Amino acid sequence: MSFFAGIDIGSTAIKVALTDEEDRLVAHKATPTGSHFHRNAQEALAALLREAGVSRETVRFLTATGYGRKLFREADESISEITANAIGAKKAGAEHGDIGTIINIGGQDSKAIRVDDEGNVLQFAMNDKCAAGTGRFLDMAARNLELDLEELGDYHFNLKGAPPDINSTCAVFAESEVIGLLAKGYSREEIVAGIHYSIAKRTARLVKRVGVNGRVYFDGGPALNRGLVAALEEELMQELVIPDIAQVTTAYGAAILAREAWADESMAG
Amino acid sequence: MTDDSQARRRELVHKQNNREAAHALDQLEKEFPDNPETMAYFYDLFRRVHCEDAPAADGGPLIGTTCVQVPDELIRAAGGTPVRLCNGAHTMDQVGSDMMPTKSCSLVKATLGLLHSDLPAYLEPLKGIVNATTCDQKTKAGRIMEEAGYTVHHLEVPPSKGSEAGRQYWRDSIREFAASLPGLTGRKVTRKGLAKAILDNSRAQQAYRKLHRLRQEKPALLLGKDAFLVGNAFFFDDLERWTEAVEALVAELERRKADGFSAAQSRAPRVLFTGSPPVFPNLKVPVLIEQAGAVIVADETCSSNRMLYDAVTVDEWNLYDMVDAVADRYLKPCTCPIFTNDDDRKRRLLDLARSFDVEGVVYQAFAGCQVFEMEYRSINQALDEAGIPCLYIETDYSPDDVGQLSTRVEAFIESLKARRRRSQ
Repeated sequence: MSFFAGIDIGSTAIKVALTDEEDRLVAHKATPTGSHFHRNAQEALAALLREAGVSRETVRFLTATGYGRKLFREADESISEITANAIGAKKAGAEHGDIGTIINIGGQDSKAIRVDDEGNVLQFAMNDKCAAGTGRFLDMAARNLELDLEELGDYHFNLKGAPPDINSTCAVFAESEVIGLLAKGYSREEIVAGIHYSIAKRTARLVKRVGVNGRVYFDGGPALNRGLVAALEEELMQELVIPDIAQVTTAYGAAILAREAWADESMAG
Repeated sequence: MTDDSQARRRELVHKQNNREAAHALDQLEKEFPDNPETMAYFYDLFRRVHCEDAPAADGGPLIGTTCVQVPDELIRAAGGTPVRLCNGAHTMDQVGSDMMPTKSCSLVKATLGLLHSDLPAYLEPLKGIVNATTCDQKTKAGRIMEEAGYTVHHLEVPPSKGSEAGRQYWRDSIREFAASLPGLTGRKVTRKGLAKAILDNSRAQQAYRKLHRLRQEKPALLLGKDAFLVGNAFFFDDLERWTEAVEALVAELERRKADGFSAAQSRAPRVLFTGSPPVFPNLKVPVLIEQAGAVIVADETCSSNRMLYDAVTVDEWNLYDMVDAVADRYLKPCTCPIFTNDDDRKRRLLDLARSFDVEGVVYQAFAGCQVFEMEYRSINQALDEAGIPCLYIETDYSPDDVGQLSTRVEAFIESLKARRRRSQ
């Protein structure tokens, strides 16, 4: 039996995916990146293999992606997260129809990718430098509202009235913005909704740069936030495909690419 | 600030600038395997001039230029030595920020920064500056240079190059410049002097063209980071020595070609670079492209190909005809986005893409460079229609965005590889 693994070392979380020869997802896992990302990445991979009952020797090829991809020497190869995301989303989203555009919001960046029928990247756009409107901003905002990240979705739907405009989606200024709104008497529900709409607007602009084609797939940790999903669907005027493996799509793509690389090498002898 | 603290600040800037150059050179020289041996001339040149403060060109009074549209030939004909001031240092960009709005071009800011610092030896003593009124930022920068005490000739450029009126405007502008040169160099432009300058320059350009053509070879014989360095050296190097060094490089590449050598992986995607010019030490984006496993085989930028490709064509070797011939050379083939029409730039890019077997284009726009930012739309459309993918990168001289950019560049290179697999 042969297995393949993809490891996506992001700024906030390390995601690992294990696949078989048919590109089926056998197991997956997400753990915080922490400050010892290298050790944590090794441990995440080991834990996943243990849970799946798969020995390291049967993992024929390991592909790393994400910001830490080049520093993870245990990998056989590294690939940019944009390519890995596209491949993973195409496969994971296949059951929902033809995926043409992918939105990914990560811990410190957000991307829109347009792909062809085979998951090849045709065009992509990414936020420049700053972490405005990314997962980090949600993180900071939740902390200032004294909410858990998971609660944001529920608060969104409890909104009565109109959400306030959030002018800055800057992760650094989130604190002053949120505290300012609280001081003006806005409820937490209103502020949460306001945050979601401002991120959605920003993301929609990114999507517009690459164009919408076929169905739109939304992944990355923040895709688990139903409130943000609803706001983004409203902004794009389109239903989004939210995969079960929103957080590990990119790691899954890396595992598929690992299988392909292994097949190419085997063929080359 | 007291004179004393100002002097200390200037000294600090100077040191920082030298360190930045040394760091960039180390990367260009040491992080890539198998550099051509003859590139050592250029690495040494940059090390001496930009890190150790050695003088560069021999000859007459130094005349600074801020644009490829300033004819070197006229300056040489008047006994001067042209030296291009366009600067690529982040250190200088920060100094220049005091004089320009926040959202302005790094290159213009860095050039002003350079001129407001202790001048490095290769610019000493600077007799005067010829500033072409191209984009708004360069135009206004000319005034700021004057305020700083430099003698500046404002070389007026027409907004359109296609019309007869534009051509005439430029010819008058060039004639006036030629007539004013004795004020800067102390000598007149003579028939003999101009003929020699035209021939010397065209010899250098012939050497460059040979190098340029060798980059058509598959697999690639030279990395783009080295090609940009060669172009950048033309800014300040002695013309004759530069020409000899390029010829030596050409000869070595010919030998490498015969030996079947490859400068990059044999299947490295071939990239055409366009947009805001890479100027040493800011070779950030070209280096990222080649670190990601692609090879830059051609460029359409004013720090390299646009500066060197076209030579002056003379019909009659008398003074007035030569001056007009110089004027035409510096207007007609210029593909700067300041001009109303962008057809020539599109044509040039599509030509280069075809004849160099290019698989993708990287378009760099310095944040705040409106003309390059604006022209992206039409250029991208033309490339799209020709089926050539293009990556647009808005950046500046700061190293902050390298992490993000490397992901974007790698994804683009990966998509070029996937595209090739698909088409096979």
